Amino acid sequence: MIKLERAVTTLSPHGWQLLPMRFHRLDADSVILTNLVGEHVFVTPDELVAVVDGSCVDQEVLARLRAAHLIQVPGETLPAELLAIKLRTKMRGLSDSTGLHIFVVTLRCEHTCRYCQVSRQSSSKSEFDMSEETARRALDLAFRSPSPHLKIEFQGGEPLLNFPLVRWITGEAKRMNSSHGKDLAFVIATNLALLDDEILEFCADEGVDLSTSLDGPQELHNGNRRRPGQDSWQQAVAGIRRVQERLGQDRVSALMTTTEASLAQASEIIDCYAELGLRGVFLRPISPYGFALRDRGGANYDVSRWLDFYATGLGRIVELNRQGVPMVEIYASIIAKKMLTNTDPGYVDLASPAGIGIGAMVYNYDGGIYASDEGRMLAEMGDHTFELGNVHDSSYADVMLSDGLLSPLMESLALSAPMCATCAFEPYCGADPVFHYATAGDFTGHKALSAFCQRNMGVFTLLLRMMRDDPYFRNLMRQWAQSC
Amino acid sequence: MSPVEDVSGGNVGEIILTFDQATVDLDALQRSAYAVAADMTVDIRLSEMDYVCTLFARHPGGDDQLKHRFRAEVNDQILRARIAKETDPLRNLVFALAFSRTGLISAEDAGESGAKDVRGPGAET
Repeated sequence: MIKLERAVTTLSPHGWQLLPMRFHRLDADSVILTNLVGEHVFVTPDELVAVVDGSCVDQEVLARLRAAHLIQVPGETLPAELLAIKLRTKMRGLSDSTGLHIFVVTLRCEHTCRYCQVSRQSSSKSEFDMSEETARRALDLAFRSPSPHLKIEFQGGEPLLNFPLVRWITGEAKRMNSSHGKDLAFVIATNLALLDDEILEFCADEGVDLSTSLDGPQELHNGNRRRPGQDSWQQAVAGIRRVQERLGQDRVSALMTTTEASLAQASEIIDCYAELGLRGVFLRPISPYGFALRDRGGANYDVSRWLDFYATGLGRIVELNRQGVPMVEIYASIIAKKMLTNTDPGYVDLASPAGIGIGAMVYNYDGGIYASDEGRMLAEMGDHTFELGNVHDSSYADVMLSDGLLSPLMESLALSAPMCATCAFEPYCGADPVFHYATAGDFTGHKALSAFCQRNMGVFTLLLRMMRDDPYFRNLMRQWAQSC
Repeated sequence: MSPVEDVSGGNVGEIILTFDQATVDLDALQRSAYAVAADMTVDIRLSEMDYVCTLFARHPGGDDQLKHRFRAEVNDQILRARIAKETDPLRNLVFALAFSRTGLISAEDAGESGAKDVRGPGAET
C-alpha cells in the first residue's frame, strides 16, 4: 500500500499574509473571524492579535486560518482565486433577477387580523379585485424577468375570494411559458378558510402549493386572527390536514407571526406545528408596519424580548430533532446556507443588494407595481415611495430602471453602509431599505440604532455560539443548509 | 493598544477621554462614536496633540462601563483599520477576479431592456 505523506507547512512568525477578514467578539474569550464569503473560524482574542501582529506560533490556529482563506503564504495566488470563485458563486443570482412575482388578486378578506399590514376590505366589495386585463399585463412584465425560475404567489386580502382569477392566471402563465420554457411554480397564500374540493382539485391538477398562517395554539391564533365565528384556527388546521391528505405532506407550509401574546408560548407554538406534521417553522417577528403598530396590533415588544422567544423556540426545535422528530427553523436554515455554503438562498429580506424589485415584485389589485409587499403596505398608508409604476402604463425598463428601485438598492448596499462594511456578519446579512425607511426615514438607517441590525446580530451570535459549543447543532445546521 | 488618558473634572454628566493623536486616527474615533450610538453620543475635539472625547450617556449610571465600552470600541476600530490597510489590495483583487469574466455585461444587452443593468454593485468591477 502506498502511503501518501501529509504535507505539513510550519509557518514562522511573520511568515504569512493577512487576507481580507472581519471579526466580531462573541464572548470575552471568543472571537469569530469571517472571510470575504462568510467562511468562519473561532479564535481567542489573544490569537486574533497575534495573527494580525505576525507573532502567532500556534500552528493549529494558523492551519485553520489558512484553510478558511483568512491568511496565506506570501506569493500564493490560489486563495485569492478560490475566494473570487466563491464570491462569484454567491452572487450569481443577481444576474437572474426577480424570481418571485406576487399577485394581489384581491384586497377583500373575511379575516380581520390584528396585525394585518394592509387595508382590509369588506368581502363583498368586488371593486378591490384584480381584473384579467391587469393580471395579463402583470404576467407580461413577470415573463420579462431574466430569471429562469418564476414563482407566482397569489396574495390578498384572501386570494381565494377571487379564485376564478387565480385559476385564469395559472392557465395563462402556463400558456405563456410554453414559449419561454421557465421553471414555473405557483403558491397560494391563504388562510384556508375557503378551501373546498374544487380548489383542492385545481391545486392537485395544476401543481399549485399552499401557504397558510398558523400562529400556534388555538387560543393564541384565534386571538390574533379574527373572523366571524372565531374559528380561524379550526379552519386552518382542518385545511392543512385536507391538503396534506389530498396533495401530500409537503405541499402546504405555514407561517407564524409573533405578537406580544406569543412571547411566552414559544414551545407551545413549535409543538402545535409538530403535531400537525409541519416540518418547518419560521419564527418571524411582527413587521413594524400598518395595523401592527396600533395599540392592539400585537407589536408591543422590543427586539430583546423577541430574541429570547427565538432562542426558546429554536431550543425546542433542536430538542425535537434530538428526539427523532425532524423539524427546521426556517430563518436559521436560510442563515445556515449563507454561513456554511457558497450558495445564496435568495431570501429577499436578507439580501444585499436588497431583494426589493430584483428578488420579488408585487402587482397590486389595481395594477400598481411595488418593490415589496411592505412597500405596498406603505402606499396603503399614503406613502408611495416604493411604488415603481403601474402595469397599464409602465414598461419593464421603466420599472427596473426607476429611481424608486435603484436609489434604495444603491443607498442601502451593506458592503458600503457604515458599520456593515466592517461587520463580520455582513456576508450573512442583508439590506432592508423598506424597513429602514419605515423606521428611520432613510434607506440605510443608523445601524447602531436599527432593530433590523440588533435582531440579526442577535440571531447570528446565537447560532454561532450554539454551533461552536454543540457539535449536534452544528451538524443540524449543515443539514438545514441543504434544505432551503 | 491606544494610549488614552482618563480626564476627570468635566461638567456633571460629562465623561471625558483623551486619546493621543499620534497613535489614534480620527477615523477610528468617528467610527467608534457611530458604533456606540445606542449607548452614548460622543463629542470629539482636537486639543493640541490630543483628541478629547466627551461621552454623553443616553441612560443614567455606569460611567466606568461607558468608558470601557468606548475604549474597547476604539481599540477594535484601530485593529480593523490595520487589517484593512494590509488587505485592501487583496480585497480589490478578489472582487476584480470575481466579476471581470462573468459575462454579466455584454454590448447587446446593455441598451435593450435595462434588465442587465440592474444586477447590483460589483457587476461592473
